[in-house]
Amino acid sequence: MKNWKFELLLLLRSRPAAAALVVLALLSALSVWNGMRAMAAQRIALERIAAVHAADLAERAARQPADGDAGLTAYYTPHLTFTPAPPLAFAAIGQRDVQPYALQVRALGLQAQLYESEAINPELAAPGRFDFAFVLVYLAPLFIIALMHDLLSGEREAGRLRLLSSLPGKPGALWRRRVLLRLALVALALLLPLLAGARLSGAAPVETALVAGAALLYVAFWCGVAAWGAAVSRSAAAGAALLLATFVLLALVLPTGVNAALDRAIPVVQGAELALAQRQAVHTAWDKPREETMQRFFRTHPEWKDTAPLPEGFHWKWYYAMHQAGDDAVAEQAALYRGALWSREQWTRNTGLLLAGVNVQVLLHRLAGTDMEARMAYLDRVAAYHELVRRHFYPYVFGERPFGPADFARLPVFAPAPGAGLPPATLLCALALLAGAALLLGLRSTARVTMGPDPMG
Amino acid sequence: MRPAITATAWRVALEEWRALRRSSVAVAAAGLLLALTLAAIVVSLERAHSVEVQRARLQQQADDQWNSQPDRHPHRVVHYGHYVFRPLTALAFFDFGVAPFTGSTLYLEGHRQNSANFSDAGQSSLLLRFGQLTPAFVLQVLAPLLLVFLAFGALARERERGQLRLMLAHGVSGGALLAGKLAAHGLLAVLLAAPALAALALIATADPLLVAPAGWLALGYAAYLLLWSAAAVQVSALARRARDALLLLVGAWALMAVLLPRVLPDVAAGMVPRPTRIEMEAAVHAELARIGDSHNPDDPYFRNFRDSVLKRFGVSKVEDLPVNYKGLVIEEGERLTSELFLAGMQRDFARQAAQGSVLETAALAVPLLALRSMSAAMADTDRAAHERFLLAGEDYRYRLIQALNRLHAEKVTYHDDRAQRISADYWRALPRYQHPPSPLERTVTQRVRPALAIFAGWLVAAALLAAWVARRLERNT
Repeated sequence: MKNWKFELLLLLRSRPAAAALVVLALLSALSVWNGMRAMAAQRIALERIAAVHAADLAERAARQPADGDAGLTAYYTPHLTFTPAPPLAFAAIGQRDVQPYALQVRALGLQAQLYESEAINPELAAPGRFDFAFVLVYLAPLFIIALMHDLLSGEREAGRLRLLSSLPGKPGALWRRRVLLRLALVALALLLPLLAGARLSGAAPVETALVAGAALLYVAFWCGVAAWGAAVSRSAAAGAALLLATFVLLALVLPTGVNAALDRAIPVVQGAELALAQRQAVHTAWDKPREETMQRFFRTHPEWKDTAPLPEGFHWKWYYAMHQAGDDAVAEQAALYRGALWSREQWTRNTGLLLAGVNVQVLLHRLAGTDMEARMAYLDRVAAYHELVRRHFYPYVFGERPFGPADFARLPVFAPAPGAGLPPATLLCALALLAGAALLLGLRSTARVTMGPDPMG
Repeated sequence: MRPAITATAWRVALEEWRALRRSSVAVAAAGLLLALTLAAIVVSLERAHSVEVQRARLQQQADDQWNSQPDRHPHRVVHYGHYVFRPLTALAFFDFGVAPFTGSTLYLEGHRQNSANFSDAGQSSLLLRFGQLTPAFVLQVLAPLLLVFLAFGALARERERGQLRLMLAHGVSGGALLAGKLAAHGLLAVLLAAPALAALALIATADPLLVAPAGWLALGYAAYLLLWSAAAVQVSALARRARDALLLLVGAWALMAVLLPRVLPDVAAGMVPRPTRIEMEAAVHAELARIGDSHNPDDPYFRNFRDSVLKRFGVSKVEDLPVNYKGLVIEEGERLTSELFLAGMQRDFARQAAQGSVLETAALAVPLLALRSMSAAMADTDRAAHERFLLAGEDYRYRLIQALNRLHAEKVTYHDDRAQRISADYWRALPRYQHPPSPLERTVTQRVRPALAIFAGWLVAAALLAAWVARRLERNT
């Protein structure tokens, strides 16, 4: 214990090291604050959207005549869906800054409405957000490298390495203390602001603990790598060069390379093709015998088969059958598109089995509910709600019943669900393994340096 | 500079190169960067090509769908609408810019203005947020780190080893020494950029229109990298120990190339709030409701419109008009809504520009922001390029829809309007979407010149600093 205290004092007395830890804590706090600010702005925007929507709906409800035409009401009325930020979204904003977090749908073909995009400023979105995930994945390794690249060479250059090696005690215990101490301090600097932010945002303890645990493992990974780099390098500069090259490779080059490969291997052109196909399916119905469209609709909605046959001229029945039949016609393509998006996510997770940076990003964004999975879950909820809305109107449209203010008031309301969830255990295990292996490697290499002859001596 | 000094500086530069060539770390790092640049060029060229092929195919598919419509009522065609896909420009491979964050698919229909959909960012896992392996990324972020590595010891290590004192004692002036080191590392910076710039030159030979943007890009990147090498050499000259120089320079890299380019956009977003799409659409609809409702026969605006049409044609009933009044009403309604769409769009572009101007101001202090802006502008993948696509798409939408409404007014009779169809030849003859070329001159004025001015300012500051550093070198070694 005394040894630990002594090492702590020694580390904190070094001004650059103490300054680095303070700056890291400040950056972490700043990122937490910035993430919370961004999520608060989204929450306020959602409130504004809800107000705008409620006002529009109230105005429509007031105009709804007692003998209203359900077809007409269904055609014009928008229905609001939204996905509020999960409590931990502030830590890893992920897709929430590029994807819409609210979407209005009408009872028309869903596939033409589902992929509407938000009006983002691409210039601000492109560099990525300054959130905790960024500080953890990109900045923390740089700080760890700054703190540890001269772990041994610093002593060697100061002429103390021989002395330290000849001290009594288990070989490597000194370096283990020093590495673990730095690990603990870096983790502390990073995690204290995060925990405060999680507390203020009302995050659940389990999710918070998992985020903190993942961050701790990632820090441990880099501390291990840094200890290894410091042990195998003769000089501080060589250590820094080696470690920075490792950082550039692991955090910048390999993930971008994998992304380029995924982009190529799993094309998602199905999205645009789906849009083209859906429009074609809906609109060609205008040029076909109407009964054909009705039969296609009845195949998936047999409960309306026995309603009155189509009259001469336009009827809303046929119109909504046409839109639904359009969606049904592209159901397979929509599933393919979804599958392609999902397999991109899967391959990203597979990459995370090998790359700690990707791994921790996946974990954080899953726990924060801001990844592709959360996005798809939201789209599923929109689809389910859209079906509720359609089915609310069908009895009036197909049964030719009037749609009055009371029926309008009973329109289904969207129920949001948090997009956050627990990450796959394999990923967490993989990160633990990567961190454990790196730490073991680092501690072993430093221990070996102590035992071996001093190259400068 | 006197010839003797030039000759000495040249000798210093040659000696520095020899030392770098002997350093296995330097050679390996430079080799790694070279390999990365080549990989980035190949990967990006291939990717840009595949995107281009894909969009051309989709556009062809959309055009075929458009042409294969049977004879229809023109208003059906208005609702059928048309798709346009943003084509990729030839230099996009060099810098994807903001393109992955913008939708490339635009659905054009009557009465509505749709968002551009299916952006890469919306369809990628969070891997995309690690950045993209383009030549621009290599030169903007990775090359400065390498330059710093090659240069941090340039003078600091010689000072540590006492060689600096020795050289000055032998009559090498501080100026010549610094000039030599600056020249050595400056040339190195240009050499590191050379493969990427050569790829640019190669692309530019295929199309004379690309020569100017490629030239500006080369100039901008060269200036940016020169700045880094000059800064690195001078920090090395000022630092007491090589280690200090390295830590300081890597810290500066983390700040200027990693941290600030991320933080400042967030600051800009916080300073200029923007409404969401739903709110913007609601605002347009509220304005529209104030003007008039074309579906309401008693609406004052459209009653006036009817009266003026009747007067113009000298008849008293819409049934007596030589044209189809329904077509005219829809045409007028589209004119009104489109005006509002356009105004709403311009308002939002102005807000985005206000956010952009925060970054432009910050670029004075963070050269990477200046480079990023000019690079994406010259590659035609910046926000302005996307806005140009949206505006051209909207303009095309308006002309297409109004041409169809004109057909509705002139080729469909008022009586039993809905039951009629007209020949598909009418809309097959309408023009296709033409993507407008980049307004190069304006872009150069707005994006390139300010960036180059910023680099020039920094380089002048570096030169002034060099004069002082050179004197200081002689005073205290």
